[in-house]
Amino acid sequence: MISLQNIEKVYRTTNIETLALNNINLDIAKGEFLSIMGPSGCGKSTLLNIMGLLDAPSKGQIKIADQTTGNLSDKQLAKFRNQKLGFIFQSYHLINDLQVLDNVELPLLYRDTTAKERRQLASEALEKVGLSNRMKHFPTQLSGGQRQRVAIARAIVGRPEIILADEPTGNLDSAMGNEIMDILINLNKNDGTTIIMVTHDEHMAQKTHRLVRLFDGSQVL
Amino acid sequence: MFKHLFKLIWNKKKQNSLLIVEILLSFMVLFAVFAFGINSYRNYVKPIGINYEHVWVINYNNSLKTQNSDSLTLFYEGLLRNIKAMPQVIDAGYSSSNVPFSTSHTNNTISANGKEVPSVNQFSGDINYINVLGAKMQAGRWYNKEDFASKQNITVINNALKEKIFGNTDAVGKYLNYGDDKTHSKTKIIGVLNDIKFNGDYQRAEVSMYNRLDTGAYHWLTSILVKVDPKADAAFESRLYKLMANALKNSNIELEHLPNKLVAYNKFTLVPLIVMSIVAAFLIINVALGIFGVLWYNINKRRGEIGLRRAIGASGNSVSSQLVAEALIVATFSLIIGAFFAVQFPLLNVFDLPASVYLLALALAILFIYILVLICSLYPGKQAAAIYPAVALHEE
Ligand SMILES: Nc1ncnc2c1ncn2[C@@H]1O[C@H](COP(=O)(O)OP(=O)(O)OP(=O)(O)O)[C@@H](O)[C@H]1O
Ligand SMILES: [Mg+2]
Repeated sequence: MISLQNIEKVYRTTNIETLALNNINLDIAKGEFLSIMGPSGCGKSTLLNIMGLLDAPSKGQIKIADQTTGNLSDKQLAKFRNQKLGFIFQSYHLINDLQVLDNVELPLLYRDTTAKERRQLASEALEKVGLSNRMKHFPTQLSGGQRQRVAIARAIVGRPEIILADEPTGNLDSAMGNEIMDILINLNKNDGTTIIMVTHDEHMAQKTHRLVRLFDGSQVL
Repeated sequence: MFKHLFKLIWNKKKQNSLLIVEILLSFMVLFAVFAFGINSYRNYVKPIGINYEHVWVINYNNSLKTQNSDSLTLFYEGLLRNIKAMPQVIDAGYSSSNVPFSTSHTNNTISANGKEVPSVNQFSGDINYINVLGAKMQAGRWYNKEDFASKQNITVINNALKEKIFGNTDAVGKYLNYGDDKTHSKTKIIGVLNDIKFNGDYQRAEVSMYNRLDTGAYHWLTSILVKVDPKADAAFESRLYKLMANALKNSNIELEHLPNKLVAYNKFTLVPLIVMSIVAAFLIINVALGIFGVLWYNINKRRGEIGLRRAIGASGNSVSSQLVAEALIVATFSLIIGAFFAVQFPLLNVFDLPASVYLLALALAILFIYILVLICSLYPGKQAAAIYPAVALHEE
């Protein structure tokens, strides 16, 4: 599903060069649930951003769903992200001025859909994460766990083949974290969604199929 | 997408309210400037109604000891004959002091045809008046020598007054009344004179009446209009002055040129337009900076949202057009409120201007605001498109 070859990422600021990723080679199969662990600053988010086509590697090749992505235009990349990928972030990134339902509909706005279809798909996604009764709420009226469930609903509303989650439980207590984890596991099991998750929590990582460890930009496991 | 943006702005109406008020204010000022400007222009392109070149005005005061009307008539008729006899004088005649482009006005309410017309300008001129000024009768006739001696109530009105009272029908031979008595009209209209823009190039020809001078008029007349040859020079001007000074001892004699008076009057009427334009320019600069600043601020505050939109499928261009569209929607809120106020002007006929002036001003002001907002939002929009999604998503 995802294939990374010799990925290297160098950040250059005026007088410092950071080698954030060093020669990463990784193949992720369709339907796999992969977790990435490592100390802070080791390049986990950088790797996820590169897999999510939000950032380009300094060197190396990425293939997603049999598509080489190196020379896609900004517009093509945007379309690709919209159709193949779903994102979940530690800080949710919900738009506080929009109701839950409108937040979940967001990815569909960048597709050819009717208002009715959007409503339908967003309600279904919210049902999956158990938030059908919060559709008219604003994000600020929800708990952290509920917000992350909204973010998951938003990530899955467009039925992507791949979900990229950067510390989805990082801001939550363990009970809420487990709830989120269960939703992700179900998505992987029932819908066959490929999931790549960055986590600091060994316990969460144990629940996934495979664990990749990074240290100082290099893959150590 | 439009509905989505509308919702987003509606939910943020508090944050947007200052900008909405600012745009509304500049819209209203622009609307006023445009309405004023368009109206001035429309007046400007209409004919002025007289040929004021080489027309001079002699202002004097009656310093004769005698109060006898016959002696006065004899004297002033002789004076006018002497002026006309000068080689460079083409024609000359007596006029009430409200000569064209002077600031003095006399108004009266008149009634006719079951209608009452307030503020009708009252002029008086002798038989030479329209010839000196080069004005034209549109119907009927101007006064002649016999009218001067007769006692009948007759008058001449201008075309604007004729249209106001009689519309397209003929006015000559009909009657009107001074004051508000609409039934017993006594003064007979003998002619309709073309409209004269006596308030200068930028103001319309007001409704006017030209009254008959009778034998008592020399008691109060103080102005003579003189049409001179183009070759008339300063030497002639001083000779004319001397003639007046010799005839009217101890009188204040003053000579003016109508073209100069027109220039002065035009300046006077353009001052408000210029002041308003300056105010509008300041406001517009203010609004432009305001829109620019608010968008700039918004973009920095909304980096997370922008990063997210990029992640879920927005291209750089669609992010930038979203921000431009949001600014245009905010402007639309202001313009809807503004247009509501603006249409009250023609509906309530606030300044007695034609509705078409207001509508054109409305359309121009709306167009101007949209273009302004578009220009001010293009650059911030471009900046937003350049935000790195990976970085923006990382910040929170
Ligand atoms: N935009 C950037 N410019 C410069 N350096 C960066 C940038 N983003 C990340 N880095 C650097 O790259 C390295 C990897 O960062 P990254 O965010 O991937 O770490 P991480 O493993 O996700 O850490 P954490 O667990 O704290 O989230 C760090 O040293 C970081 O300082
Ligand atoms: Mg990270």
